[in-house]
Amino acid sequence: MIRVRGVQYAFPGRPVLEDLTIDIEESLTTVIVGRSGIGKSVLLKCISGLLTPQAGSITIDGEEVVGAPRQKLRSIRKKIGMLFQEGALFDSMSVFENVAFPLLYHKTYPMEEIHRRVQAYLDLVGMEDYANALPQELSGGMKRKVAVARAMILEPRYLLYDEPTAGLDPGSAAVVETMIRRLQGERAITSLVVTHDIDLTRYLADRIALLEDRRIVAVEAREEAFRESSPVYVHFIENRERIRQGNASQSE
Amino acid sequence: MGAARNEATGEWLYAGRSVSRMYGNFFFWLFREPFPSRQLGQQIVRVMLEAFGVITIAAVVQGGIFAWLAGWYGRKFSVNYWGGAASVYMLLSSSTTMIGAMIFAARIGTAFTVEIGSMQMSGQLDALRLMAVEPVQYIVIPRVLASILCLVILKAFSDGVAIGTSILGAHWWFDISTPIYLQHVFEILRHPILTTSYVRSAIMAFFIAVNGCGLGFYFVGGAVELGRTTTKSIVINLIVVITVDSLYGVVDSLTGWSTI
Repeated sequence: MIRVRGVQYAFPGRPVLEDLTIDIEESLTTVIVGRSGIGKSVLLKCISGLLTPQAGSITIDGEEVVGAPRQKLRSIRKKIGMLFQEGALFDSMSVFENVAFPLLYHKTYPMEEIHRRVQAYLDLVGMEDYANALPQELSGGMKRKVAVARAMILEPRYLLYDEPTAGLDPGSAAVVETMIRRLQGERAITSLVVTHDIDLTRYLADRIALLEDRRIVAVEAREEAFRESSPVYVHFIENRERIRQGNASQSE
Repeated sequence: MGAARNEATGEWLYAGRSVSRMYGNFFFWLFREPFPSRQLGQQIVRVMLEAFGVITIAAVVQGGIFAWLAGWYGRKFSVNYWGGAASVYMLLSSSTTMIGAMIFAARIGTAFTVEIGSMQMSGQLDALRLMAVEPVQYIVIPRVLASILCLVILKAFSDGVAIGTSILGAHWWFDISTPIYLQHVFEILRHPILTTSYVRSAIMAFFIAVNGCGLGFYFVGGAVELGRTTTKSIVINLIVVITVDSLYGVVDSLTGWSTI
């Protein structure tokens, strides 16, 4: 279980998170929603130890992430896989090398076993025919699939998704959504997704948390979150309205 | 106007901090396991391929220019036979080292900044950290060590090309006897100036690579900022090359290492 307690993070002169508290329950998919630029990705980076909060506590299976020494942080990170926005694949490596990278670097298994595992994960995400392709030859959706395979190859207990469908066309977004949901069904991984995509939230979430004013202001089960009185639902409606108004003023 | 100046000053201060942090990180990670030998091999090949052509062209041009200058002044002052010694001395003592390092800063230092800066921008460095791979160890150390090795090798090669061109130039343009020219060349080559110029090249390569990597590694922003950071990379590295060369000259003159 991931426990976040009273986390505070600020860039110089700009507070991002203040007294943020949330529990990420085992084997469920928690989706954190909020406007763009509100600090959702910062929260994921704090949880994975890529950013260090100025205050608060983050524990993963009881182990403290904030201020953990380098070695401890490495062992905690082995429990986490993360899908970055746009995939963050290594440009100079093929799809196979990207997915095999963590196993090759840490020399965890013999080469035949690495081949077998990479092939299995490429099959799992439906990218088995693209093992020799370079990232620049892939579409946005394909890159996300490869990134998911890479994030899963070390068999983490937790998967963090940073805007998994951002920038994708509706067709590719639907493919990625289906893949994530299928993987969760098959592997029962605890997932934390940050997004402002209402369709993705509705499709994936077991629990939905609303990040607003630098803290989590509501956590609700999916059934409750899409009732008209729910703050999560109100957020989506307001957000849609804001985008429409923005588009209208741009076209004027 | 004042705000823009403050912003520019802030950017330069940040660049300075990035570079200093990278020196600390480089030495911290240099002697830790695992040593990235595979990446080192890849970077040696890559740096050699990227810098080889342009350094060779520069060496040909330098050899020709120095042969012309030495021959022309030699004829003017009736000391033709010294042309070989003079041009080779000028080439080895400063020209191939300085110009080679400047070209290396422009070709390789900036490439490191852009490459690592884009990796930072697209989250690839964070992805490495999450896979329990230290990016300084995996990305920076191989590039710095490869740069040191490659600039020394390229300097040796460009010395050879420049001397060869100057021999041909001196023979064609001023009819200087090749055996006499070669005799002076070998006298210079026996001198410690050759060794010290390679040490200087290695030092310059170290600074160029660490600065280039550091600016990319701690880069923050988008495409426009990456462009500005790349400009800073070349400016800082040119200043470093000139400073190292000047300091080396001062130390050299005080110790008399390379005095003829």
